[in-house]
Amino acid sequence: MDVVGMKSLAAALAIGLGAIGPGIGVGIIGGRAMEAIGRNPEAIGEIRTNMILAIAFAEAIAIYALVVALIVKFV
Amino acid sequence: MLKKLLTVRNVVILLLVIALFVISGLLGLKVIPPEVNLAAPVLFHIGSYAVTNALLTAWIVMILLAVLARVATRRYPKDLAQASNGELVPSGFGNFVEWVIEGLYGLSRDVAGAWAPRFFPIVMTIFLFVITSNWFGLLPGVGTIGLLRHPAVEEAGSAGFVANGAILTAHEAPTVEQGYVLIGFLRPPSTDLNFTLALALVAVGLSQYFGVKTQKLAYFKKFVDFSGFKDGAFMGLIMVFVGFLELIAELARIVSFSFRLFGNIFAGEVLLVVVAFLIPYVASLPFYGLEVFVGFIQALVFMMLALVFFTLATIGHGSEEHH
Repeated sequence: MDVVGMKSLAAALAIGLGAIGPGIGVGIIGGRAMEAIGRNPEAIGEIRTNMILAIAFAEAIAIYALVVALIVKFV
Repeated sequence: MLKKLLTVRNVVILLLVIALFVISGLLGLKVIPPEVNLAAPVLFHIGSYAVTNALLTAWIVMILLAVLARVATRRYPKDLAQASNGELVPSGFGNFVEWVIEGLYGLSRDVAGAWAPRFFPIVMTIFLFVITSNWFGLLPGVGTIGLLRHPAVEEAGSAGFVANGAILTAHEAPTVEQGYVLIGFLRPPSTDLNFTLALALVAVGLSQYFGVKTQKLAYFKKFVDFSGFKDGAFMGLIMVFVGFLELIAELARIVSFSFRLFGNIFAGEVLLVVVAFLIPYVASLPFYGLEVFVGFIQALVFMMLALVFFTLATIGHGSEEHH
């Protein structure tokens, strides 16, 4: 298999596998946030702020994988 | 419900979009396959200093923010102590800016407590700079108006334009002399790793500064932790190792700050270009909305994380529990 083919495969695998973990993580964070809102609807503002912060942390891991994929493909 | 959608305005818009597709097809216009350069290309040199398009856009963003600040405060009375209450009520653009600042000040007071007045100018500047940089990339013309250059020999196979008379379309059989590559004049600064790295270094450096300011040199005991030795040699070694891990964590924060912002905005830009290549004109719209949202969220997250790390640096070793 030639270099360009390998590069495309590597980029696809990098982002594909790299998005599994953060996907599950964001789902868990969202689910727990929903539970917390259900238990205490008055705290919805606080919960929403902290949920967005935590989601950004989890999302960052997926972004690292995306950056690796872009570097492999385009550099 | 369909009846309500069939107004004159909507039908006219639909016909215009279809006409756009038909005319582009007739003229032989083709969208070029996306061409992505990770590093910002150099536009010109000042002496020996290379100015990239991301740097140029960063300068424009800074000037824009300064001008907006002046416009917002233009109507404020010159001598605040002697102004009547009626004159102090803001209006227009100043009112909007005050709403934004008050909202975010409330948020930072929840996080930082008593230190909020000290940290707020810094993190608010970071927020405004980042959000303006992110949203600047969504303006029409940014990235699409620029210089045409012949691609370098090693990129001879890469996608580009060929000139079809006066019209540029996608290439079929490129030779280096025939093809052109577009280098935009402007590019959102957050897509340049230099910009995000600089902001990350400022944020992490300032957190060290605030830590030293509150705890003097005892702040560095967090990293070189010999206090465990009083509980025995084993505990001592573990605490030294934990201190070392804290140091690694600080360095990892620099990487994480810079790559989070860079990755989100750069990937968003690539996404818009790729989707525009797949289905021109129409399919980019939902992703455009996503990019507006992502730009705002990433600015907010950068600001909140900087604030959290500043606050953690001032709290100190003794009062927090080890995790």
